[in-house]
Amino acid sequence: MIAHTIFFYTFSLIAILSSIMVIASKNTVHSAFFLILDFISISCLFIMIGAEFLGMIMLIVYVGAVAVLFLFVVMMLNVAQQKNEWFKSSSGYSHMPIGLLIGLVILIELIIVIGGWKYKPDLLSVTSITVNENITNTHSIGNVLYTDYIHLFQLSGMILLVAMIGAIVLTFEKRSGIKKQSYIKQISREKNEGVELIDVPNKQGIKIDD
Amino acid sequence: MEHTLVFLPLFGSILSGFFGRYIGDRNSEIITSLLVSISALLSFVIFKEVILNNYENNLVIINWINSGMLDVNWSIKIDAVSSVMLVVVCLVSSLVHIYSIGYMSNDPHKTRFMAYLSLFTFSMLVLVTSDNFLQLFFGWEGVGLCSYFLIGFWFKKDSANAAAIKAFLVNRVGDFGFAIGIFLIFYLFGSVNYDEVFSKVPEFLNKEISFLFITVNAVDLICILLFIGAMGKSAQFFLHTWLPDAMEGPTPVSALIHAATMVTAGVFLVVRCSPIFEYSPLALNIVVIVGFVTAFFAATVAIVQNDIKKIIAYSTCSQLGYMFFAAGVGAYNVAMFHLFTHAFFKALLFLGSGSVIHSFKDEQDIRNMGGVWKKLPYTWVLMIIGTLALTGFPFLSGYYSKDAIIEFAYLKNSGLGIFAAYLGIFTAFLTAIYSWRLIFKTFHGTYKNKDIKIETMHESPYIMLLPLMVLSIGSIFAGFVFKDLLIGHDSAEYFWTDSIKFIIPLSTDHPPYWIIYLTPILVVLAIPISYYIFVKNKNITIWLANENKPLYNFLLNKWYFDEFYDYIFVRPSKKIGFFLWQYVDIKIIDKFGPDGISNLIKKLSDKAVKLQSGYIYQYAFIILLGFSALLTYLIVL
Amino acid sequence: MISINLGHYLTLSSIIFTIGVIGIFLNRKNVIVILMSIELILLAVNINLVSFSIFLNDIGGQIFTLFILTVAAAEASIGLAIIVVYYRNSNTINVEEIKSLKG
Repeated sequence: MIAHTIFFYTFSLIAILSSIMVIASKNTVHSAFFLILDFISISCLFIMIGAEFLGMIMLIVYVGAVAVLFLFVVMMLNVAQQKNEWFKSSSGYSHMPIGLLIGLVILIELIIVIGGWKYKPDLLSVTSITVNENITNTHSIGNVLYTDYIHLFQLSGMILLVAMIGAIVLTFEKRSGIKKQSYIKQISREKNEGVELIDVPNKQGIKIDD
Repeated sequence: MEHTLVFLPLFGSILSGFFGRYIGDRNSEIITSLLVSISALLSFVIFKEVILNNYENNLVIINWINSGMLDVNWSIKIDAVSSVMLVVVCLVSSLVHIYSIGYMSNDPHKTRFMAYLSLFTFSMLVLVTSDNFLQLFFGWEGVGLCSYFLIGFWFKKDSANAAAIKAFLVNRVGDFGFAIGIFLIFYLFGSVNYDEVFSKVPEFLNKEISFLFITVNAVDLICILLFIGAMGKSAQFFLHTWLPDAMEGPTPVSALIHAATMVTAGVFLVVRCSPIFEYSPLALNIVVIVGFVTAFFAATVAIVQNDIKKIIAYSTCSQLGYMFFAAGVGAYNVAMFHLFTHAFFKALLFLGSGSVIHSFKDEQDIRNMGGVWKKLPYTWVLMIIGTLALTGFPFLSGYYSKDAIIEFAYLKNSGLGIFAAYLGIFTAFLTAIYSWRLIFKTFHGTYKNKDIKIETMHESPYIMLLPLMVLSIGSIFAGFVFKDLLIGHDSAEYFWTDSIKFIIPLSTDHPPYWIIYLTPILVVLAIPISYYIFVKNKNITIWLANENKPLYNFLLNKWYFDEFYDYIFVRPSKKIGFFLWQYVDIKIIDKFGPDGISNLIKKLSDKAVKLQSGYIYQYAFIILLGFSALLTYLIVL
Repeated sequence: MISINLGHYLTLSSIIFTIGVIGIFLNRKNVIVILMSIELILLAVNINLVSFSIFLNDIGGQIFTLFILTVAAAEASIGLAIIVVYYRNSNTINVEEIKSLKG
């Protein structure tokens, strides 16, 4: 139990601190790193609590793909050079108090909800985590995912496909000035536009543009 | 037949007004003149019927209003009074139509003119042939409207527009009194039809009603209010200011409206309502006073005027005063007779002056005329005939009518009547003086016009002279031929019968001989006197004018009436209007109404625009704000 | 305080959620931090779901977390693609420069 407590507080403290640093750091690359730290601590928490499949998946997908993607873009866009002031906007720090106030309000309300839960008062008294020795987390997820939630599973595949296509389409840029072969154009050329006869006037050139 | 008579001019007016463009100028002129001439012929037929067979009729055309106690019809009532008026209106109107073909030959808007003339004729006929006060009021307003159209016919001239509005407004003052009179009649008698009202008057003789915090005798009040309407229409003393300015219209308009027809509508009203007026001595006295004051006032002003049409206009005003004071002393038939003869010679004078103006190429000031009697012989002779008739030269028509008025005034034997008779004689003398002044200054003496050579003066075309000749025949003979019929001893029984009520029959005495002879002698003497003053020895006038400069100016400026009215009514009205416009309308109503609301909306939307800053984080912030508010609400509840 | 129960996990989740929310509208630096804040929010939701699933012995929570993971990855990639294209056009990713929606 004690270990549970200590680990929980450690991991949660690290998570909270690093999330604060994500939004508060001056350097955007540092923000990305703190995001990675955040993910890692939370996935440790998941492993601790018994959802190890999810923890591992989070490490692989979130940290290995999403955060790396962030880093790619950050590096590409050269934002690391921008030395911005901490939270300073064009009109000074005047937006800070009201924003913090609203954040505090949201936090307090969310906690009040937890604290004063009326409907299932015995919920919060669940202290023990029942861990089933026989079946692993992965097994139990697999039991349900491919049977009851198969449609959602396929749909999520579709979503990923669409996202991929969308990302490519958005950033696709045909660079001008590059001569490339397009076999479609070559095959579909008509005879009457293949050759063109032009009378070139004497001592004057003619402009050919392709 | 009566229907044809009344509706032919309307038909001609519609044809010329709306379709004149398609049928051509000449055709519309001919058609309208023809239609009105047919009406004139029909009016002669009816008049003959009335004379010979005492024809009386009341044809209902259609029922107009039938609501509660009010039952009013569109109808044509023919009796003695209306038949005389029909002859006057239709004859003069047809002659004016024919005259206008020549007078307006250079005008581009002939069809509109003809349409207005015919429309005016129709309105006057509706007025004259009504059998109830409401149709009379309709015709009354109709002639007022047509006079507005016709006075302001040359609408591009500012002075014409102003004169038209002035005529309409001053008439409106009279109409207001008239309308209140009609309301009072309906309130008291429960009906506006002549028959019912006239038969009930004797029952209401002592009834008193309170009007504007004073209690007056009801019948007196009705008569006074009706007379106010007549004052407006017939340009009597206080409401006369529009008549001289109405000379801005073309001369045929002046002849038709301001000599023969519209201005006589007031006299017609008083005569038609004689059953009511007879029971109100107070009102009759007021009519007499206003009548002779008008006659005197207009004659004094006419002596010094210099515009040929204004002289004749003031002469009309003066003669109308005569008619009213004849009606006021109870001699309604004499008033009608004078109306009848006056129509002839006044129209003759106006049309003749139109011929003079036409020959002088639109010059109207008599100081720029003179010495053309050889060049314009026909016009000269016809104008002289008209002037002789107007002044009451013995044996022409005016003599019979005007002298009858003075005689009956004297015979009434009240102080007012006798004073009125003397004033009438003096005014007749003044009338003669200024009428001959007009003739001598226009046709005799030396030629004073600087713009036109005397050799190029020529007579007017025959189409303009023909109506003048017809009118001159009427001026000479109408008096003698009709005097026994209309004002003879037995006229009340044989001719007028029920259309005029005489409580006390008119006296059949003769006044003393010196009264009978005084007026003609004065009138005849006036001819050489005025010849001497205005042609031979002009220094007398100049000396008179210089010696009595204030009096001369007083007369020249028409007794300063226009300035007086301007000071009392026009300027305060303008001030009130200005105040209401600037302060009430703009500052109060507009500020809280349209302007205020639109400004408010603009301000609100300006503020609302600032909400859209374009910064997404602000939008997200507002989303979260709403979210926290929702949470709070859900938690608190 | 000593024995960890569901409430503690939920508190943790709400704290991280709030921090992500604050990060969206408090930052004035660049747009990528906004995307990172969105990832934080999704992470907080994940914690919430997983803790409920464990404590109530219902595997559905973790299934849903998988899907959220998928969607988060897709959305992050699309968002970054948009930022890249935007950077190509306007050469800046300062948040305060994005105001063409201004009315």
